[in-house]
Amino acid sequence: MDKVLILNASPRAPRSNSKEYAKLFSKFYHGKTEYLDIKRTNHAALIEKLSDFSDLLFVFPLYADSIPVTLLNFLKDLEQVTPARKPTISVLINCGFIEPQQNDIAVEMMRLFCKENGYPFGSVLKIGSGEAILSTPFQVFLNAKVKKLARSIFLHRYQVFQVTMPIPKRMFLKASSIYWEEYGKRNGCSKEEMQTMLIEGK
Amino acid sequence: MNLVLSDRSLACLEENRSDLTYLDLSKLKIANCVGCFGCWTKTPGRCVIRDDAVKVYPLIAASDRILYVSRIKYGGYDTVMKTILERSIPVQQAFIRLLDGETHHVQRRVLPKKATIIGYGELSSADRQIFCRLVERNAKNMCFESHTIHFCSEDEVEDVVRREVASWTRS
Repeated sequence: MDKVLILNASPRAPRSNSKEYAKLFSKFYHGKTEYLDIKRTNHAALIEKLSDFSDLLFVFPLYADSIPVTLLNFLKDLEQVTPARKPTISVLINCGFIEPQQNDIAVEMMRLFCKENGYPFGSVLKIGSGEAILSTPFQVFLNAKVKKLARSIFLHRYQVFQVTMPIPKRMFLKASSIYWEEYGKRNGCSKEEMQTMLIEGK
Repeated sequence: MNLVLSDRSLACLEENRSDLTYLDLSKLKIANCVGCFGCWTKTPGRCVIRDDAVKVYPLIAASDRILYVSRIKYGGYDTVMKTILERSIPVQQAFIRLLDGETHHVQRRVLPKKATIIGYGELSSADRQIFCRLVERNAKNMCFESHTIHFCSEDEVEDVVRREVASWTRS
């Protein structure tokens, strides 16, 4: 039976958007899935489980134009071990920018890891406007692509998908400003305070 | 200000120099970014984790010439350098702007800089290709007005750094 291990490599995994994407994937995948967060202390335990799964899906955000350190450190530990069975590795990546292709470098890094370490590379879903899309009516587009990702992995017909908010960039700038203003307000921080040009008060 | 950020010690820069600031990141205590957005939405411009990173990102922002020295892993920066790059997001605002037709974060008081990156290790052609594309992306988000990349083996790092820094004093 095909099973997918979903590993959340977000630095804020328990309260991350990546967790929400993983939940969606589990909902749409027709086989069994298991979800776990990558933590600094659980790499060995996660790696031990790999042989039980046909597929491994990494879910993570774009950090500084590439893969987050949480994932980088896990991959470095993974390359020290050869599991009895190497699952096919797929990737679900999101960035806060509207262009899903800003995720391309991180995807290429994952492909390179797979090539260097003999893991088959599977499907990719690149999400743009990933910080906000979950809380907008555009979630229907996201759902459709996550469904396609899940189906491609289930059928082993691996493909590359991408999704973002279907709005002009100028409108995205306005929408993202409102999103961040509201975020700041919840923390008692005004727009003017958030726009400070000072770094460490200087 | 001229700044050298390295993920390993560089004997050639150990003596005190008035013309540049050199930081060996491997000797600093810098935790991973926890993705809390505090530096954007709670204490703007200040990271909530008060470790050595808070001394480093203001220097990155204030530099107009910078040299990054990093081991390359899977075509990207290895852990030490990547950790400080992730912890440097207080130099940006949460708000988004258009830059060259693409969406990017608004920068705070960050000087445009001439950047040189020395990527070292046992590098495949794929490592080099991906890294060049990564630095192109970094240029937009890290305020590079120009950038140069040098690849070398670990043994060659000191020589390449020495040559690069000497070229700064000549120019």
